[in-house]
Formats: sequence, structure tokens, C-alpha cells
Amino acid sequence: MTKEIEQKLRDEIRDLLETGKVDHIIGYEAGSLKFSTTPLITGDKADVDRLVINPFIYNNLSVFLRDMCGKVGIVAKKCDARSIVSLIQSQQIARENVFIIGVPCGGIIDLAKVEKLTGLDRDEIDDIVWQKEKAVVTFGGNTREFPAKEVLADACLGCAPSDFPEYDIFIGESESLVAGKDLGRNKIKELEEMAPAQRWEFWKNEFSRCIRCYACRQICPACFCNRCFVEETEPLYISPVPKWQDNLFFQAIRMLHVAGRCTNCGECERACPVNIPLGALSKKMEEIVEELFEYRAGMDKDAPPLMTAYQLEECEDLIR
Amino acid sequence: MKKIKKQSIPGLLGKWQQEFTVFVPSKASGVSQMTVWDGKDTAFLDRNRNTAIPPKANFLPAMEKLFGFRKEAGSYKLEPADGEPPRQLLFGIHPCDARAIAIIDMVFKDAYEDRYYLSRRQNTVLVGMTCTSAYDSCFCTSLGFGPADPVDVDIMLTDIGDTFLIEEVTEKGKELLADAKGVVEATRDDEKKAAAARESASARVSRKIDTGEISKRLPLVFDDQEFWEKISAKCVSCGICTFLCPTCYCFDINDEMLRSDSGERYRNWDCCSFAVYTKMPVENPREEKWRRVRQKVYHKYLFYPELFDIIACTGCGRCIRQCPVNWDITQTLSNLPAGTPVKK
Repeated sequence: MTKEIEQKLRDEIRDLLETGKVDHIIGYEAGSLKFSTTPLITGDKADVDRLVINPFIYNNLSVFLRDMCGKVGIVAKKCDARSIVSLIQSQQIARENVFIIGVPCGGIIDLAKVEKLTGLDRDEIDDIVWQKEKAVVTFGGNTREFPAKEVLADACLGCAPSDFPEYDIFIGESESLVAGKDLGRNKIKELEEMAPAQRWEFWKNEFSRCIRCYACRQICPACFCNRCFVEETEPLYISPVPKWQDNLFFQAIRMLHVAGRCTNCGECERACPVNIPLGALSKKMEEIVEELFEYRAGMDKDAPPLMTAYQLEECEDLIR
Repeated sequence: MKKIKKQSIPGLLGKWQQEFTVFVPSKASGVSQMTVWDGKDTAFLDRNRNTAIPPKANFLPAMEKLFGFRKEAGSYKLEPADGEPPRQLLFGIHPCDARAIAIIDMVFKDAYEDRYYLSRRQNTVLVGMTCTSAYDSCFCTSLGFGPADPVDVDIMLTDIGDTFLIEEVTEKGKELLADAKGVVEATRDDEKKAAAARESASARVSRKIDTGEISKRLPLVFDDQEFWEKISAKCVSCGICTFLCPTCYCFDINDEMLRSDSGERYRNWDCCSFAVYTKMPVENPREEKWRRVRQKVYHKYLFYPELFDIIACTGCGRCIRQCPVNWDITQTLSNLPAGTPVKK
């Protein structure tokens, strides 16, 4: 990602604020930790020069849209744009109130993967330079190169940036990523090969760690219920006590509830502080939705939301 | 001072295992946390960074059964939870987390003595380790202690290569080492090495805050809504910073009905960032997010010091490095407006 694109982004956004086309903007600025970025939410054009674009803009900023008033300009990667479209489809935000600033995403580096590959924590790594097809990682005097498919976020693998679903302006040019449909399916493949009993044990073990911080829900743009079922007390669906059964039940319902809205952006897994591979669930669900309904969430703002529309051709064996 | 070779530690842990359930920092469960030692793992002897889940979980577990209850002859019969908690030894705890336990002790033995917490606490010994690998999010040295501070543990170890230097801090600590195989007197040279290790451990903590300035400014900015709205804008109100904070101790109480006439009462971690916090008994007085974020900062840096004369933060940095939006409490504290109170 070049500095010119960053400059162009700042100029465009300053202009949007100055001309009153938007009241607030949501973008990324440098974070307080190594290789981190953090959401920048502001209506002050003095803040514009803090905006950045780099391979670490991992947050899906669309999660903030529902809470904002007036017209909002939002910096969006393709996956975020899909979430925005999905919110428009679900009438959570109005199209005219959001100004989508599409940015070319050359892929987001998954720091958890880099940590695994190097055996180090992110703050122990000296530098990560992204060179389109590979990441050059420097640590402790060593330099190692990792191919894109090893370091990019799962959601980036197999992503075709050309079909950006919706934007008002686009900064720069769309770049192609690592292609290949099966990329990003490693965990799913591993799970598919398990016998059901073994898979059950796997998830039981994973959800035993869940502490119910609800970061997966809070970071999720598709989780927009004003009152989450997990917080209902009359009747009580799910106990707030984090037993693995309730944890698993919570996540299973959450996943099903966002089916057709979830764009598999990967934020739930990234946010999870106890490393539950939630992306395997969301990705699998996305695949099932595509297979059953030939539908991808957030690609068409005029399409009815998947679960509210019914077509006569939909055969009954969907209910099994 | 004494010392012990790293290769003798498994033997020592084995000896302690006869008396205690021995916990060590481990990622075996899928997340780094204090984990029951399996008798083999030694990875933590060479690499021991702060666990993601703080050791407070050993005293205030994420969920804890308080008692069972059964309807009987028009009344309820209570069945106490299973006995005394086992004696536990936490090996390799860092000074920030040991200090955090000392801090929450204050609240659990204040006007009301919480026997669940205190019985675990009294049944515990802490074997500390100088933290030689602070994260870039750590700021313990700004909170009146440092990564080598031994005051809150029973024994303190400092890594000096293939050996740990041992400080026996408490009587309990001394007893633990009596007749321990491999423990020998340290030389002047060992002590010098340990002093250097402690010094470089402190130097590694680069993030700083100014607690004096913070305590002056906080009382002035409570009503500065604009400031709190701005700094809380990116918070998503999840529970990570609370649940992983070694000094956050809020809990909720829930009854699990097993049948219509019997059940179990649990307590589990609760979090003031949640919009539904305290909604069950009354209402959440902090409906807007900025009020909840403000509460977090004030509780740690103003209210707790007013009550117990100590800041309820040890600079462990978990809330910064685990936050999914990189909300950074040190930035908020460093950017507190200096001005006079803004009245709404």
C-alpha cells in the first residue's frame, strides 16, 4: 500500500468534511501497539492527517455505523463494504446516510498467524514488510519470508477484490489477492474429516474456555439485535454461567442468527481472547448459505435479506 | 540468598505436588493461563510472559458454585459447595499479578468477608518470577512497583541463565524450601547477575503514565462529557478488558434450576462495560457507553484509591493488548484534560 493512496484518502476525507458531505468519518489510525491500527471516529478535520492505510487495518468498521448520527463517511475494505450493504439490506442504516470510501485491500496480515510461524509474540517481532505475494518478517536479527497464503487473514484467502459491492468513491485500484477456493478452509477440512463424536469433543473442548466476554457479538456488525437472546431472563434461554454447554449453545444460536447477514469477515475469531476458532463456524455457515440459497451476504443492497424472503422454488427438504 | 538450577525445578515441583495442586503458566488449554502442572512441561522456565487469563481466576473463578438448594417441607434446604478448596501453589506468577491479588484481597476481606475467595486465598502459596519479558503494553513501573518486586509473593525467583536466584520472602516461603533438593547458597556473582537481570527487566517496561497528575486531574473531568464521548467512541462494550483484568472483581449471581424444586447457585464474572450490567436487580445507571468507560477509569484510578489507598491497576497491559479495537487506558489517562470541571 503506497503512501500516495494514504495521502489521497486524507485529501478526499478532508474534502468530505469541509464540504459538509459527511458529519463524521470512521477510518483507521496507527494503534498504540506494534503493527496495530485502531478505529478513528471523528468529525474534526484536524484529525484527518492521522488516517492510515496499511496491511494491518483489520477492524471491520461497519460495526460502529448503527450508533452514529448524521451522515457518516466510512473507510471500507471489500469485506467491510459487504457488511455495510448487509446493514442497509436489514434496514439498520440508510444508504443515503453513509458515504462509502472504498480502499484497495491487498490483504490483511493475520498477526496471530505470524506469531504462530515465528513462535514469537507480535511485540517481539522487529518488522513485517508486506510485498504483495509475501511478508518479509524480521525478528532477532533473522529475516524470513512467508508466502501470502500463510500470513493473510483467512477471510482474505480466496477473496476477489474486484466485486466490491458498493462504494461512493474508490481510492486507488483494486488489487488481486491469492486466489483459490480451498484456501482458508484448512480448519473446516480438519473438522470435516472428524467423526461426529470426535467433532463434538473438539467443540466441547473449545467452548470450555469461553469466558462469555461477548467480544464475538460486540465486534460483529451483523449482531445488531437491541436485546440479545442471551440476555433474556423470562424465559431464560441460556444461563449466564459460562458452562461449556451454554457457551456452545450461545455461539450456535448466534451463528445461525446471523446466517445470511454474516459476511465471514473474521472479526469474531480475531477478537476472541481465548482463541476459539469461530471463523471455521462462520465460514462453514457462509458455504452452507451459498449452497442452499445461492446467496452471498452483502453483495446487493436491493436484495431482500435472506431470511425474510421466501421463494416458491425453495424446496421443502431445506427443513431437515 | 539461595539458588536452584532450572533442571532441578521439576523435582521441586514434584515435591510440592505432594502437598499442593501446582499451577504453572501454560498454553496447553488453547489459551495461556495458570494450568495444573502435568509433571513434564518445562517451557515456562525459559519463556514466561504474562498469561492471557490472569491468575485471579485461581481465586475468583469465571464461574463458581456457591451452594445447592432444594425445596423441602415448605422451605429450602441448602447444600454447601464441595468442601474446602484444595491447597494450591502458583508457580511463576509475575509481580503485577501478585500485586493485583493483594489489591483485590482488600475488597474481599473488607466489611463483608467473602469466605469463598478468602478460603482459596488462604490455601495458596505464590512462587513469583521476575518478569524479564514485559510486553510493549506493560506499564507496571508507573504504579509504584516493578517487574522484579517480591513483596506480594512467598518466594521470588530471578532468571540468571540456567539457574534461578531465590529470595525467600515469607515464612511460608522458607518452609517450602526446607529440605528441597538442589537448593544451594548463591554466590556474590549470582547475586550480581540477578541484580542486573532485575534492572534490565525494569528498563524493558517502556510505557509510562503519571499517576500524580492523573489523581489531580480525574476529580476535575468527571463531567466533561465531550471528552468521555470522544475517548469511548471506539469501545464496543465487550468484556475483554474487565474479564482479563487482574483487579476487576465484579461478579453476578445466578441460579441454575436443575429441576423445578432444586438447583445450584453460581457466581460468575460480570462487567461494568456491559449495557445490561446491574439490569437484573434495578437498572443500569450507566446506560450510555461513555458513562461506562468513564466508570472503568474512575473505579481503578480514583474510587478504589479513595477506599483502599491504592490504585486498582497494576499496569499488566492485558486490557491494551487484548482489546479488539486497541482502546488504550494509558492514552486516556495521559490525555485527561487539565481544565476546570465542565458543568453540563
